[in-house]
Amino acid sequence: MTPERWTLTEACAALARGAVSSVELTRHCLERAARLNGTLNCFLRLETEAALAQAARADAARAAGRPLGPLHGVPLALKDLFYDRLRVTGGGSRIRAGFRATATATALARLETAGAVNLGALHMTEFALGPTGHNAFHGPCRNPWNPDHIAGGSSSGAAAALAARLTFGALGSDTGGSVRVPAAANGVLGLKPTYGLVPRTGAMPLSWSLDHVGPLARTAGDLARLLAVVAGHDPLDRSSSRRAVPDYEAALAAPLDGLRIGVAANACTDAVDPGVGHLLDAATAALVSAGARQVAVTVPAAPRLVALSRVLLYAEAAALHAHWLRTRPDDYSPQVRARIATGVAIPAPIYLEALQLRPLLLRQFVANVFGDCDVLLAPTLALPVPTLAATDVGADPSMWSVIARLVQCTAGFNYLGLPALSVPVGFTANGLPAGAQLVGRPFAEATLLTVAARYQQVSDWHTRLPAIH
Amino acid sequence: MLRPGRGPGSTDAMTAADEGLALDPAIVAALARLAGYPPPDAATLARIAAGADDAIAAVRAGETVTLFDDEPAHFLAELERLAGAETP
Repeated sequence: MTPERWTLTEACAALARGAVSSVELTRHCLERAARLNGTLNCFLRLETEAALAQAARADAARAAGRPLGPLHGVPLALKDLFYDRLRVTGGGSRIRAGFRATATATALARLETAGAVNLGALHMTEFALGPTGHNAFHGPCRNPWNPDHIAGGSSSGAAAALAARLTFGALGSDTGGSVRVPAAANGVLGLKPTYGLVPRTGAMPLSWSLDHVGPLARTAGDLARLLAVVAGHDPLDRSSSRRAVPDYEAALAAPLDGLRIGVAANACTDAVDPGVGHLLDAATAALVSAGARQVAVTVPAAPRLVALSRVLLYAEAAALHAHWLRTRPDDYSPQVRARIATGVAIPAPIYLEALQLRPLLLRQFVANVFGDCDVLLAPTLALPVPTLAATDVGADPSMWSVIARLVQCTAGFNYLGLPALSVPVGFTANGLPAGAQLVGRPFAEATLLTVAARYQQVSDWHTRLPAIH
Repeated sequence: MLRPGRGPGSTDAMTAADEGLALDPAIVAALARLAGYPPPDAATLARIAAGADDAIAAVRAGETVTLFDDEPAHFLAELERLAGAETP
């Protein structure tokens, strides 16, 4: 049995035909996690007993002929910010250490209703604020491809655990790139859905306007299955869309014939590393060979989108954290406290300008970009994955520029609320993975998943295992 | 280039835009006091000032339209209105 080679959908199929039990599969993941977590630090808490009990219930239901759903018995893990009335949700912080919510997050509840087994809480940046995976209280999460390098953040553990084959899927959150950046850094897929598609009820907030809940997985098919489970209207979330959720897995079979892939020289405000650029060119060529058509597009106001997202993030995070900033300032790490407190210096008219410009700039972006293409292809990270040392707060001041560069290609799409999927496209000269973002019109997740699936049919990056394996 | 020691979020693209704008750390300290936050140390104040300064300057520098005649739009409704076909 080599479950670490299985995708999520293959694991589901093995469970369904009785090739393996949920208890066996869960124990396999827990044992691997216990063995490798000392190196990677991707789990903050492994819920061994609870997970095995869930798995036993899944096996009993199957034996009784009661299918639970499309994730029946498969082990998953979630970022440490999804509230669970039965377990601690710490938000990667000292302030919320030991916090028990009174209600379970909608996305988590939907995964469990679909039959998933929850392995435990995954590493994250303190309060989801930071793209590196450093955490002053829990230590850094390390990259399975090279533990001297960052895993990215803030959904650090989600991507690292997937890459190391400790889980079959994961759920994270993305406010400026926190699903896509770690997905790219670890060679897995990560989706920031359209704003409003996946309910945020019970997901610890960082920014009301920018937060998105999104899945991470190793294949487009796995991602489609996870998205179908967590997407859809939630009456408890006033920002949740009432649109019907399409059959994402069925859409994966659609051909690419004639689909226009837009490539923009200015899609990212950061200078793209030549090695990353080469991989993006090769990915575009592969999609063309699979039937897509490459077109040139121009992204309007790209630098401004990133700046506008920061205005919203700073102001809203400061408001969310105001009580603790007043009463428990020393319980934040100095870096996170400084980032949150930056909101105090954002004038109200600037914040409102940034908020009210959003629909206007969205209309402009959709007309200018998606008038000419169906999917925009852009870097996820414009630079090779940096080391932990180069992004540590103890490093020299150039550290700030490296950290700022990590979200230059991603944060603008949080501002616009557009769906963006990061797919692995190879490895840079330092041996670390690189990713490409596929960005679509609002609610075009099915199209993005189809493009990713076609790309994975003509590439094998997603099948490679890190040496730590 | 980024100015050494600038706060989170500073980027090359914003350097030209924020010339002439400088949020004094003393103002940040006063705002923090008004908000009821314990005063951050000098280095943190400088970082906050730089981070806010850059973000505000970039918003201001890119301004090309007036919101005066624009109806406030519900963002989710706008996303739903702009959605296209769901499958390729």
